[in-house]
Amino acid sequence: MEEMMKEFFRYTSDPYRAISEWKDASKKKVVGVFPMWLPEEIIHASGMLPVVMWRSNEAITWGYAHVPSYNCPMNKSVVDDAVKGKLKFMDGMVFLRECLQSQEVPYIIENNACPPFEEYLYLPPIYHGDKASKGFTRDEFEKLRAGLEKFTGEKITDEKLRESIRIYNRNRSLLRRLYEIRREKPGILKGRDILRIVWASMLMPKEEHSKLLEKLISELEKKDYVQAKGKKVFLSGCLCIHPQLELMDMIEALGMLVVDDDIYVGYRYFANDAQLTDDPIGAMVERYFIKTPVDPAKGEVELHWGDELVEKVKKVGAEGIITLLTKYCPPHLCYYPDIKVKLADAGIPEVLIEVEHEIISLEGIRTRLQSFKEMIGGV
Amino acid sequence: MSVEYKLNRLDTSGVGPLVDKHWRELREAKEKGMKVAWSSGPLFVYSYATPNMASHFMAGYAAYCGGRKMADEVLEAAEKYGELRDTCSYHRLHTGMMAMIANDWPVTDPRVILPLPDLLISGRFCTEMSHYMEAIYRRFGVKAVIIELPVARKTEDLPRIEKYVTDQVKETLIPAIEKTSGSKFNEDNLRRIFRDWKETCIIRNKCWEFLKRKPALWTLWDYGVSIAPIFYAMGKPESHAYYVNLLEQLEERAAKNIPAVHPDGEKYRLYWDGWLPWAFLGKFLRLMVPHGAIPISGRYPWEFFPYPEDINPEADDIIHEWIRVLYTSPNRLAYHDGPWGGKEHIEKLLEEYSIDGMLFFSSKTCRMWNLGQLDIIDKIERKYGIPGIVIEGDMIDSSMVSEDQLRTRIEALLEMIDARRR
Ligand code: SF4
Ligand code: SF4
Repeated sequence: MEEMMKEFFRYTSDPYRAISEWKDASKKKVVGVFPMWLPEEIIHASGMLPVVMWRSNEAITWGYAHVPSYNCPMNKSVVDDAVKGKLKFMDGMVFLRECLQSQEVPYIIENNACPPFEEYLYLPPIYHGDKASKGFTRDEFEKLRAGLEKFTGEKITDEKLRESIRIYNRNRSLLRRLYEIRREKPGILKGRDILRIVWASMLMPKEEHSKLLEKLISELEKKDYVQAKGKKVFLSGCLCIHPQLELMDMIEALGMLVVDDDIYVGYRYFANDAQLTDDPIGAMVERYFIKTPVDPAKGEVELHWGDELVEKVKKVGAEGIITLLTKYCPPHLCYYPDIKVKLADAGIPEVLIEVEHEIISLEGIRTRLQSFKEMIGGV
Repeated sequence: MSVEYKLNRLDTSGVGPLVDKHWRELREAKEKGMKVAWSSGPLFVYSYATPNMASHFMAGYAAYCGGRKMADEVLEAAEKYGELRDTCSYHRLHTGMMAMIANDWPVTDPRVILPLPDLLISGRFCTEMSHYMEAIYRRFGVKAVIIELPVARKTEDLPRIEKYVTDQVKETLIPAIEKTSGSKFNEDNLRRIFRDWKETCIIRNKCWEFLKRKPALWTLWDYGVSIAPIFYAMGKPESHAYYVNLLEQLEERAAKNIPAVHPDGEKYRLYWDGWLPWAFLGKFLRLMVPHGAIPISGRYPWEFFPYPEDINPEADDIIHEWIRVLYTSPNRLAYHDGPWGGKEHIEKLLEEYSIDGMLFFSSKTCRMWNLGQLDIIDKIERKYGIPGIVIEGDMIDSSMVSEDQLRTRIEALLEMIDARRR
């Protein structure tokens, strides 16, 4: 098991190096995709490796010459990495209009560190799921397909797209199985390990990730499980970025066990499949328009994220929710007060932790988590 | 500072009564059996053209509360209600006001309270606009129509986006307005508004010519205050009358050679990027004018129908006509809201208005413009040698505005201009 984990960790410990090494060895190209909803399958079908852009492992420095400090860590990090030249191994980058800030990141990238291939999709939110929005989304996906074909000189056939969807669905279903195991046997893997497994799937070829994950799952299924001690908690939020590993450790050190989540580098990423149909682009459009897990950046007014959380927490038997709010993320900032009210009405304890690019005060977070732990019972 | 500069403000006192009338009528609308729509972004024109519908323009409410110094109390209510301070202050302002209504919290100035809407219309240039509509929908169940208005990155994308927006407006917005108002959408009224609006804006643009003069005869701040008639009284006789009066004042100033800044005109002509700081207009001017500096032009105020020549009120498809103005008319208004088209637009303003330096206002809670600002400054400085700086703050939240920081930055900009003049 350790061997498999090593490979996942190799990617998440130093994604810049691991991806570059993969690129050298495979002689293939790499395309960075901005989180959260770009159809990676189209890039995969073009024969290149799509990697989901990540929050870097260094303090933001040069990036502040382009982005004010009160913008979200995802944007600051991508810009900082790009202007420092750390993303030079990316042959392409694809952005999307998902929120106010992400829509302007490509302007900075184009001016300062533009990769050979760059695309920007005006992906609409799913408000009315109306004809106009679906048609427009389809055009955007086709635009990406045509742009990639021009860049690589290779046709992206429907057959190739279907194959990519199949590979991605396979990986998603394995990740869902991993989460099922965690729900059945909380603590079977450390929180930081689960996080790194999911994160690795965003960085490495899906085929390789699935192979390793399949083996890991069969080991986990066989493994003797001793009931872990700790209060069960649910992690929510954390749009676009992965939370710090130290944060996951701290939650466990304080006697809590994460049993499930809806964070982006977590369940949100692999919750839904695209159908294998004769119309693969149409299937990806349909996937994009699936309304759950409720996503504040995709705006669905008929569903309430708070209701969804209440239901999930009850289903998994969690005793409280730890909300991770990506600092300066408007979609989550705007939604949070309503979630809080719903949870309070349902009598579900909750604590808010803001996740910045770098952890500013571990002590402050520890104190908040400690009080939360006391609230859900136990010292 | 040897010369004592003082501002010679234009008489914009006609605005106050007009603004008060707008909000009073809105407050009284329900008693008169009208429906109320709250709207953000340029789709406001559609509810505005609906005869039995009173329209509340959400950014206008922020300007109103900010200008009347009523914003802080509402923002405090929002915080008490659970809003987080990093959230857009316009969002907090609206949810704060609704929290005051829902909880019957005491309010110092009752003018901040508005009737609950029957319909919410979000024209999503800024994605955050929809977030506050969604919040109001969740809390009060008011129907929200959210129309996506993507800011274009490339000009070749504009026709496709225009079609998408038109389809949404026709499929979703117009039927919602018809359902809420209980009547068929009134295209004739929309035409009439465009006709009158166009005429008023032609006069307004003549006033802008006096900003191009050196020395300038009025300031961007005077114009900022004068936006209200363009918007609240769109297509109404009082709006027209306001601008006729303004033009007369300016012509008189021109005839008598009276500049906006005593004794003999401005020393520094500044460009202003971003929203206007509604609650702090005076504060900013007090930091600029003693140096002989005044704001002359800016990107945001130019959003208010700057090219009246681009609209055809007699177009066959009048619903589409407004969206065409935004996206594919010769001046493609909506293209200027993103950094791509924004830079091009700023360059045009710099030349037309003979700008010496640029102040980029970066709101800490509104991230609509601020991501591209530093790069735009860099490009323009290199190309034209016109220096620019960023100043941080907020349009209405006083806890986010530091006078010391503003003073230091403004003085730094003026020094940079001086250095280039030497
Ligand atoms: S974290 Fe939030 S603000 Fe940042 S890019 Fe993602 S959705 Fe946008
Ligand atoms: S973020 Fe800015 S543009 Fe968007 S709604 Fe708020 S104030 Fe308006």
